[in-house]
Amino acid sequence: MTGRINKTLGLLIGAYLLVFLQSHWQGPRLWLGFQPDLTPALLVCAGLTLRAGHVSTSAMLTGLWLDSLSANPLGLSVLPLFIAGWAVFTFRDLIMRDELVAQFYLGTAAGAAVPLLQVWLLWLVGAAPLFGWEMGVWWLINALFCGVAVPVFARLAKLLDRWFSHPLHDPNRWPNENRQIVRGKH
Amino acid sequence: MKRFFYKSQQTAVGAVLLTVFLLLVMPESARARLKSAIGGLFLPLIGISTTGQVALESIGQLGATNSESSPTNQALGQAPASLSELQDEVDRLRSVNKHLSELLALEPLIPWETKLVRVVGRDPFNWWRRIKINLGSNKGIRFNQPVISAKGNLVGRVSEVGSLTSWVVLVGDPNCRFSALIKESRSQGGIVSPRQYSSDLRTVELTYLPNDVELRPGQAVVTSGLGGGFPKEIPVGQVVDSWVSKDGLYVEARIKLHANLNQLETVRVLTRY
Repeated sequence: MTGRINKTLGLLIGAYLLVFLQSHWQGPRLWLGFQPDLTPALLVCAGLTLRAGHVSTSAMLTGLWLDSLSANPLGLSVLPLFIAGWAVFTFRDLIMRDELVAQFYLGTAAGAAVPLLQVWLLWLVGAAPLFGWEMGVWWLINALFCGVAVPVFARLAKLLDRWFSHPLHDPNRWPNENRQIVRGKH
Repeated sequence: MKRFFYKSQQTAVGAVLLTVFLLLVMPESARARLKSAIGGLFLPLIGISTTGQVALESIGQLGATNSESSPTNQALGQAPASLSELQDEVDRLRSVNKHLSELLALEPLIPWETKLVRVVGRDPFNWWRRIKINLGSNKGIRFNQPVISAKGNLVGRVSEVGSLTSWVVLVGDPNCRFSALIKESRSQGGIVSPRQYSSDLRTVELTYLPNDVELRPGQAVVTSGLGGGFPKEIPVGQVVDSWVSKDGLYVEARIKLHANLNQLETVRVLTRY
């Protein structure tokens, strides 16, 4: 349980920092000509490792934070992010979720689907943002970035988990350092 | 799909759907307040990043001061900074000095009362063009105030005001339309955002120009003052090319903005105009 809470906290802190960086760090925009959005990758990570409640909490908070810093109607990003995280969560037992390639494909798919869903929802609520064929290029690149980001985030999450959680007790593990009787001379 | 019907999962899905539904049916004013409150959660990070920048700048200045006292250091037997390092520092200070001098020199040339503000963020979504500035209602920033670049060219207008920060919608965003004219011929028109998304933020379109207008590349475009949103004669950009609209009723022109909207660090908010 503690491990899960740590993971959720880590993920939420990561989402908070990521949303802040996407809004306040102009480097990628100046180099690439667009601002990459890696939040779908974060939700894929949540879907791969966390429970249903944690996935929905992550989607809600990340979506609300993103929308609060944007001209999108508040709450618009929640549903696309939740769908991405939930789809992974539902089918995660059927996929080789620890494989790097699987994570890359999941991230790429989520990175491609989430902006499309956001644009569709914007169109539904009657907002009129800028669209154009040139967006197709950054949509594709952003999807690939998300694909690359999922394995990176997953490994980062594992690393943080190892730092901040007690290792799970595994009676079958040998040598078991907690139980091993070290015999000396006497 | 059987997993879907587990109770905890139903609760999770229900919570998300309920949140989205409540946000959709919420009155606009309440939603704006909530948005501002959630956005306020990032203020500590904005503060930290701004303080960090200032600290880095002051460290740079401290370094410059130390290098000035290098004769003393040399006298004390310390190693002097290399000539190239000193040259780099001199170049950096020279560029800072030039930038500040330019800002100071431009101040009297701008005929309106302005407030110099720092750009602290941007809209994370590429389909909107907005920037965040570090002043809010506590410093007299008001809704719809025009915003110009440090050199006095049009940038946009204030679209949302928080207590400590505000949002500025940039020229070229669909939510920033205003009346402009060709300075030479005084032909009225309206600047609209590009019909399509373009990564070049400096190009916008001027439409509804009369058919008899004579347009040449390089002609200056300024605000017309109509509608009261922007004062008259703020420089906007210059004509790149023009064409007759598809229905033949009016002329359209492509305008290159003077202000580089990709690299805004400081802007001026017009407080009295």
